[in-house]
Amino acid sequence: MIELAHVSKRFGDETAVDDISLHVPKGKFCALVGTSGCGKSTTLRMINRLIEHNEGDIILDGQAIEAYDPVKLRRRIGYVIQHTGLFPHWNVARNIGLVPRLLKWSVADTQARVAELMNLLGLPVSEFAHKYPHQLSGGQAQRVGVARALAADPDILLMDEPFGALDPITREKLQDELAKLQARLHKTVVFVTHDMDEALKLADHLVVMREGRIVQQGTPLALLQQPNDPFVDSLLGGLERGLKQAALTRVKDHMTSMGPTLPAQSRIPAGFSVRQALSMMLRDHSDRLTVVDQHDVPVGELTLRRIIKEAQLDKGSTPRE
Amino acid sequence: MPLLDALPTPRLRWEGRHPNVVLISLSLIMLVALWTFDAVSMAPNRIVSGTGYGALEAFGWPGALLATLLLCAIGLFAWEPSRRHYRALLAAIMMLMVLMPFGLLASHHLLLDPELPNARLGIGAAYWVTLFILLLCLVEVRLRLNLTRLWPTLLLSGVALIWWLCAALGLDNLALVQEFRARDRQFLSAVAQHVKLVSITVSVSIVLGLTLAMLMRRYARLQKGAFAVLNFLQTIPSLALFGLLLAPLAWLAANVPVLGQLGVSGIGTTPALIALIAYSLLPIVRNTYTALEQVSPETLEAAKGMGMRAGQRFWQVRLPLALPVLLEGVRITTVQAIGLTAVAALIGAGGLGTFIFQGLGQAAMDMVLLGALPILVLALVVDAGLGALAEALRPGGTQ
Repeated sequence: MIELAHVSKRFGDETAVDDISLHVPKGKFCALVGTSGCGKSTTLRMINRLIEHNEGDIILDGQAIEAYDPVKLRRRIGYVIQHTGLFPHWNVARNIGLVPRLLKWSVADTQARVAELMNLLGLPVSEFAHKYPHQLSGGQAQRVGVARALAADPDILLMDEPFGALDPITREKLQDELAKLQARLHKTVVFVTHDMDEALKLADHLVVMREGRIVQQGTPLALLQQPNDPFVDSLLGGLERGLKQAALTRVKDHMTSMGPTLPAQSRIPAGFSVRQALSMMLRDHSDRLTVVDQHDVPVGELTLRRIIKEAQLDKGSTPRE
Repeated sequence: MPLLDALPTPRLRWEGRHPNVVLISLSLIMLVALWTFDAVSMAPNRIVSGTGYGALEAFGWPGALLATLLLCAIGLFAWEPSRRHYRALLAAIMMLMVLMPFGLLASHHLLLDPELPNARLGIGAAYWVTLFILLLCLVEVRLRLNLTRLWPTLLLSGVALIWWLCAALGLDNLALVQEFRARDRQFLSAVAQHVKLVSITVSVSIVLGLTLAMLMRRYARLQKGAFAVLNFLQTIPSLALFGLLLAPLAWLAANVPVLGQLGVSGIGTTPALIALIAYSLLPIVRNTYTALEQVSPETLEAAKGMGMRAGQRFWQVRLPLALPVLLEGVRITTVQAIGLTAVAALIGAGGLGTFIFQGLGQAAMDMVLLGALPILVLALVVDAGLGALAEALRPGGTQ
């Protein structure tokens, strides 16, 4: 659990972070979003004391971070940065095994853990263990970066624009994998990004920052439904907001049981997003879709009327599983 | 035909097979040198200056023809470069280098008058020019074939061995050999003294240089001042620095008895070492400082974020990443020190410079060579050795 209470940071006369309060419960994924220079990275780096804050309290598992030895604190917090920060003179296995070695694990334990993580992140040991960072693609390098951060099984993971330097396709793939990984590992994650779609996709809790202050925070759906500020609205995509909201809701939350009419021609799996359903309606010139389960058996139907009506009423449908 | 040769060669690598202009021009220069300059000179004794002989007289027509053909081959292979042709070029270059001492044997045989037992065979300009340009060709071919520095070093050691065998066994009247035979003991001790001076200079400079570079990183104010002083030292001509040290050191030795007992005096090893170290500090400090500073801040930040302590960050991350550039500094310093040590002979520090200055005094160019050639060889060996070491230490084989 991470708690920030009225935290401020000044560099000289300039206030980088101004009185922010934030609560990340154990096992939750919190995204800090904002334009560059809004203080989101500074906020992140105050948590592992790469930057010391001036005012307020930062509390980690019930204890103020000043009470920890900074080095020991960092060893129990996973840290992933944009350009991976891999050590160019070490091979992949050695890079990943860094924190276990710092914590003086036995060689056998470290090796076993490195192999486990490489498998978890889709990096076959035989192929990658002895490669050097410059021999990896951007996506592979960042997988190693994530594996290195997870090496000593920290409860907390800090990620500073980890996918910012990747091409869109690799970025999306890694986002999907991170979402799956998080569903399995339940780390307490603080994730900094300037990409709102990335944040909407991954976060349980979304924090929008501007000029060192928090403008708004809440669940992605809550923010999409009620941005309290034109800045948040524009970050969320303005007119596109409706579609982004639709992307966060599932077809199965809006479907009705089969009506008396014949099944519609177009079929959509229940797990797809409402956004995909809308796109399919536009493509097929139809206001009605048949919802099918994973065996392609019809389980219900989805109509345009219903999507629009529910979007109006919707106050707390379940976003994603 | 082997399958591999049937495959198309990747075009990029050979730059679309444009003629290699560098090698072609070098081969032309060598051809001109071979046919215009003197290949060898012959003098009846040490005092009289010799008469020059061209390639045809020195090697006879078969030798001259062979040399010409090999040089033409270099030009022709370079006209249409491919991996195979670069290999052939390497072979031609090595063959020329190996044949050179046999050319001397031939002229020894053809030109020597049996009635003049003290006649001296000198190596002419054509030889030196060709040898120098062949070395340049070797560098170019090495880069094109993507070979490590180790290869040419090994090949050249083989060539040096053949040269030495020829000189020892068949070239009694070669002036260089005669100069050596007249003072072989002196020569060996001069080499030993030279190596000793260079080793002390370099090891002391490394220790001092590393310390200074570390202090500069800690105290920013020191940095400007220290670089200014070191730069200034570098601008003093070496001869002047040796001279400048003479008076104060002589005074110190006379007035502080302890120093005198330690061997400090106005001339000899002490002032030579002081001057040599003063010159060596700048390249070492500059490279060490740059090497340590150029390590990517992101990598270091990551190291800190992972929970490495300051010492661990320095020894496990900063230093290993700085090592190749740092070694480059050691290499430059050592090569520079090998050359400068020759000047130290002027203030009685010994070393190979002794022969150079004696030879200059007696107008005996072969004696100058006896000092200069080993200096050249030493510098090349150190350069290749440390270069190969720096190459091997590059992180994960990166550039």
